[in-house]
Amino acid sequence: MSQAKALPTSRLKQLWLKWRFHLNILLILIPLGFMPKYFADARLFRGDAGLGANLISDIQVGPYSLDLAELRDEAPRADGPAGYFKSFNASLCKACIKDVKAAYLRIGKPRSLRAAGTLFFGAPYSMGTSLPIPPRTKPDAHIWITLEGWDGTLHQASIPLTKASPATVAWLEKQGENK
Amino acid sequence: MAEDRLMAQSPKISKSRLWFLVHSWLALPIWFFVLIVCFTGMLAVVSQEIVWLADPAVRANKPDADTERMSFQQVLEALNKAEPDMVVERLSQPDGSHFAVKANVTLPDGTSPTLYVNPYTGTIQGKTPDFNFEAFTRALHGWWLVPFTNGFSWGWYLVSLLGLPMLASLVTGLVVYKKFWKGFFKPVRTGHGSRIFWGDLHRLSGVWSIWFIAVISVTGTWFLIQAILSDNHITLSSRPNVPVIAREQVPQTPDGSPASRIDLDEAARLARQAIPGLEVSAISLPATAYSHVTLSGPGWYPLMFQSASVNPYTRNVDSQFLISDRSALEFVTESMRPLHTGDFGGLPIKLVWFFFGLILTLMVLSGLLIWTKRTAQATAAALKRTERAPRALRSETTVEAHT
Repeated sequence: MSQAKALPTSRLKQLWLKWRFHLNILLILIPLGFMPKYFADARLFRGDAGLGANLISDIQVGPYSLDLAELRDEAPRADGPAGYFKSFNASLCKACIKDVKAAYLRIGKPRSLRAAGTLFFGAPYSMGTSLPIPPRTKPDAHIWITLEGWDGTLHQASIPLTKASPATVAWLEKQGENK
Repeated sequence: MAEDRLMAQSPKISKSRLWFLVHSWLALPIWFFVLIVCFTGMLAVVSQEIVWLADPAVRANKPDADTERMSFQQVLEALNKAEPDMVVERLSQPDGSHFAVKANVTLPDGTSPTLYVNPYTGTIQGKTPDFNFEAFTRALHGWWLVPFTNGFSWGWYLVSLLGLPMLASLVTGLVVYKKFWKGFFKPVRTGHGSRIFWGDLHRLSGVWSIWFIAVISVTGTWFLIQAILSDNHITLSSRPNVPVIAREQVPQTPDGSPASRIDLDEAARLARQAIPGLEVSAISLPATAYSHVTLSGPGWYPLMFQSASVNPYTRNVDSQFLISDRSALEFVTESMRPLHTGDFGGLPIKLVWFFFGLILTLMVLSGLLIWTKRTAQATAAALKRTERAPRALRSETTVEAHT
């Protein structure tokens, strides 16, 4: 190997030779550093950490009520060409589980049931949905919850986005500045 | 040493020596990382079995010889009876009748444990502990615990990149091991010092592991390609995107009570009727009022699963994805994961994968031991020579004498 020859001349090579095995230590530090995050996430997905961040309890939607929280207190995540998404979780009041056929979430008031927004998936105790966030959304927008009964009735309620996800509003304000 | 002197005289580095140096340097600066990735991979292959050994709740014990296994609907009914408020989301039978049925459920407090249910009695035997050994070993092995925030985690890239040096070490190893095909039954020499012992062991395990290293490194490299494709939003899959059930197909009820849906056994019967020979090892219950009952299970080709989505109101099989629906390319890409994990032929294959995983871990270790011993000797020799004649110093490692 020509290393030995170059050794006295190249400082970089000298550093590499001296420190190369410390790469091992650096690499081992990675999972150690992420371990608390890994277990916190596992707790979150098991539901042991509650619905999520910025929980809003007992939102009255017609005769029903539900709790809403964002999965994480953070800006929307990009999903390639599909755009930006924000995960929300909700839980229905125990008494209304039998009556409610579906729950929807949308930014801005839906004009009809067909445009009610994204469906909440999963058990009514802890349902989740991925809400598309158009980058042009106004920071003072509201998110609308639509509950559809098995009898066909519709009930709606809205809450300001600032309350449901401050991080999303901060992100939208930043998007506005960049334009 | 004679060879070493020869090298020092020759101005050119011979080809095989170069190959040899490449081989010895491939894993070195990151050997501990490689070692742990191999070790956790070996554990991940049998993690399900380790949990089975450690936790009696995971076992499917038969109460007596006459008792038959329950159907999925019977298991569901037993669960609903035991915990009326609990919502069952998915039932699955792991590969192997000695495993309890797994039930993914959500409790009224919002927690979502996985329960182990006895397939003969329907009793809830336990739930996955907070420290999930299977998930943890897989996460450590698969993405070095680096979280997925935007597309694939960079830890995934870090680990899957190792497929390339691993493939290179296989190729260079075979190039420098002259007549390696004669090495399958060479005894390991003991009593000649540890350097010889580890060298013999490294070569012997190497030749027996050629196929395994090839499989693991090629499939590992596939994981790298998979991440690159996915992060660039390129898909090779012909899997249909099952849309939610059309609004008009989901009944409205005048009294406001939930519309009735077909039960799980009926869904399985309908699916088998539409797809002869469909085996059902897992059932996902509808996740919304507009969702299907999805059934899946192995097909004739053991490395791929088939699935069917049954409309619980119209009883129609709305969507299916069978082995015959796969493109030729998908046969290759979808086989990569089971080939990597050894999860396609029950316990015997898993044990083979575990054994060669152990050998591979030992090869990383023995490779390092050889390197340390040789380098220590070579450095000492080189230093001695430097004292005598500085110009003779040409390399810091000596060529291996036993190739």
